[in-house]
Amino acid sequence: MRLSLKIVGAQGQGVNSVGEMCAKGLKRSGYCVFGYREYMSLIKGGHSSYQLDVSAQPVRSSTTQVDVVVTFNHHGIGKNLRDLRKGGILLHQTPQWKFKRPEDQAYVTEQGIRVIELPTEAILQKLKAKPILGNVLITAVVWSLLGQKEEQLRELVREQFGHKKDLLELNFACISEGFAVKEQIASGLSLPLPQPDPTWKDHLLLTGSQAMGLGVIHAGCRLYAGYPMTPSSPLLTFIANMQNETGMVVKQAEDEITAAQMTVGAMHMGTRAVTATAGGGFDLMTETLSLTGITETPAVFIVAQRPGPGTALPTWTAQGDLLMAIGSGHGEFTRLVMAASDAQDAFDLLPEAFNYAEEYQIPVIVLTDKQLAEALFTQQPFDQARAKLKRGRLVTEPASLKKLRSSDRYDPAAPDGISPRWLPGSEAAVYCAQGDEHSGDGSDSEDAENACLQVEKRMKKGVALKAALPEPLFTGPKEPETLVVSWGSNRGVLQDVLESDELKGKNIGYLHFQYLWPLKTELFEALAAKARKIVLVECTYEGQFSSLLLRATGRAVSRKILKYDGRPFFYDELKMALLSALSS
Amino acid sequence: MKIPLSLSSSAMQAFSSPNRCTWCDGCGDYGIWSAAKRALVTLGLQPWQVLLCYDVGCHGNMSDKLGGYRFHGLHGRVIPLAAGAALANPKVPVIAFGGDGASFSEGVGHLVHAVRSNYRMTFVLHNNANYGLTTGQASALTWQGQTMNSSPNGIPEETLNSMDFIFSLRPTFVARGFSGNIPQLTEILQAAIQHRGFAFVDILQACPTYNRFATHEWLLAHCYDAHAEGHDPKDFEKARKVAVDTRERVATGILYQNEDIPAFHERLKPRQGVKTTPVEEVKIMDVSQWLKEFV
Repeated sequence: MRLSLKIVGAQGQGVNSVGEMCAKGLKRSGYCVFGYREYMSLIKGGHSSYQLDVSAQPVRSSTTQVDVVVTFNHHGIGKNLRDLRKGGILLHQTPQWKFKRPEDQAYVTEQGIRVIELPTEAILQKLKAKPILGNVLITAVVWSLLGQKEEQLRELVREQFGHKKDLLELNFACISEGFAVKEQIASGLSLPLPQPDPTWKDHLLLTGSQAMGLGVIHAGCRLYAGYPMTPSSPLLTFIANMQNETGMVVKQAEDEITAAQMTVGAMHMGTRAVTATAGGGFDLMTETLSLTGITETPAVFIVAQRPGPGTALPTWTAQGDLLMAIGSGHGEFTRLVMAASDAQDAFDLLPEAFNYAEEYQIPVIVLTDKQLAEALFTQQPFDQARAKLKRGRLVTEPASLKKLRSSDRYDPAAPDGISPRWLPGSEAAVYCAQGDEHSGDGSDSEDAENACLQVEKRMKKGVALKAALPEPLFTGPKEPETLVVSWGSNRGVLQDVLESDELKGKNIGYLHFQYLWPLKTELFEALAAKARKIVLVECTYEGQFSSLLLRATGRAVSRKILKYDGRPFFYDELKMALLSALSS
Repeated sequence: MKIPLSLSSSAMQAFSSPNRCTWCDGCGDYGIWSAAKRALVTLGLQPWQVLLCYDVGCHGNMSDKLGGYRFHGLHGRVIPLAAGAALANPKVPVIAFGGDGASFSEGVGHLVHAVRSNYRMTFVLHNNANYGLTTGQASALTWQGQTMNSSPNGIPEETLNSMDFIFSLRPTFVARGFSGNIPQLTEILQAAIQHRGFAFVDILQACPTYNRFATHEWLLAHCYDAHAEGHDPKDFEKARKVAVDTRERVATGILYQNEDIPAFHERLKPRQGVKTTPVEEVKIMDVSQWLKEFV
């Protein structure tokens, strides 16, 4: 059982701050919370929303229909009225509001929606409080509707404003007024929250970008160079805000090419460095990506997807950069493309990305998307002992360094095509990391035979890499009738849907791919051979991943559930789509 | 500063490469190559102690003709590549080489921000005033009106005044040399490599195949040593004037240097007092101390 709460208003009005405060409070009360933001590509005035889906069970998705809409302005009353399910509550603060469109009033009546006006302005005037304190007032009313205790909210506010005594007193006054006014305007109304589960209390509440930022730091990454671009910017912001704690070198570069080149230069020198961008920025980085293919420099590129082409929908989500990531950069070379799906993955996969980059001396592309980057996850504290530092054939011991010959760097005879790598400043034979085709020591070579050997060396790494990659993650019965395949941020909503009452008894298996290229297909083939239906779930128009499966296995999926409106899959929507796929 | 004429042959040998040079006879790259080698040896550096980064162009063919750890990257992008390397390990001197085509057209944005950021690195501009490796097209520094490959009617654009441009960015080190004056060039490069921040070294060089205006002879006749005439490299305004005005003579030598401006990495608050380099800090970092704020 879940309860959904949607806070809407103009950007800059405080939608996020109310959302975040409610989320934190609810989690601390023993609930799992999933937060979902929608906003437009502008700073002030655009219509934005922050939705919280709350449950005592795991919740990793949003519903299209909510129990409460809290609206800061009158636009939200009209725009979001139909988001309310039967018997829902519309809490607004527009004095003497009357529905102008008769169909809106009819909807309210038919659906039994309770419309509640909060006299925010009058209360704030009485308290001599600035409009910004309306956020706390609204939160207090919602808090009271949820049957939560006043003291919990005070505690949250104390944490935020404790250092400013006057402000704290005013905040407390707003909370008291909020609880009091709720009894006047919504007496007897309450929202049925399930029994809490105390295990959630110690969980973390964080966005995918924050989880990924922690993963970057955890991985031992010491330099971050980036150029702002939604939805990768929250990662840049997080890493930059952490720099005084972590001691990382953070550089906001003059463009994406610079960011990419700087990270490559830094990785060549021997530290761990990363850059993040969105599809358009990554387009600019791809020549650099290709360079790392031939110089065999480890590199990690994070690509936060949003709809394209062009600027398209900058603040919305998509998965349309999959084939671009796999085909990016001119020429043929080995690369790894992986995708994170949730906060856990965002944290766990970053050390892996660096490890693979260094072990195979290849570029690694980590795909994420706006949904993962900005959604709020309730997350178990991250295990600090799981990740291992793997630097592959990096040579640092003086005795081993002395034995190296220049030609060892790109010796085509290296096992699996993976040569020893050693760092500038190491007392050893020197070499050239050569962007032109080269012989063993990095000297230019246009010799035909050597060219073949070097191409083969670089491609051979892909064979070894594919063998080393883990199988995709499978949940479900051993021989499912229906096999659902997906990747990236769809995982959360798929997990929720497959655990729903309507679907949990069905014979469905779910194969989730974290590693997308090279594509490991053994498990897929074994399951697909016995399944009656293969269903792809993806936020694209074409179903890009199905073309990879077809290319790698010759097997086509039988059904694609696709979405390309910039929105993620919603819980109820995907449940219906899957049920319909099962019955067709 | 005097350059020892006979450097230890074993030290010079260490930087030698078995690969034969592939530049045209009379190419200015030979002079820059010699001076770079001499500067490194004079500074007592071993090949393993430096990183030389190359752009793509005729000069980039030096990447396998001179010892040292090297990176031969992309056209126009050598500066951010080298800057990233320098930030990762400020203990290893990083020298980037690029041509005027790459640095004043394709990668000009990087040059702007490198000067502004004052990364600790040396940038050596192989300035032959054209795109040599792609067979003699005009660069932004080719003289206006010259007929070049792909500009049969002469270049319509104004020539970019590179020194005026550089000085407008408030650089901390600007020098100009001439590939025909190897002793002076060696001195310039030595000072550049030791500079606190971003050292911009403009080296005028002949391109005997495609540049028929600023030839070796023309450069010989026009270049003069500004220091011999009492130029003070501490005076920014005078330096700018001397550097920009090339109507009759071309000033060479270290034209401007300011060591009071901290390099980029020195300005980073999180790096204050840190003794290690980012290269030495790679380990799995326990982040549990930062998880509390999310509970």
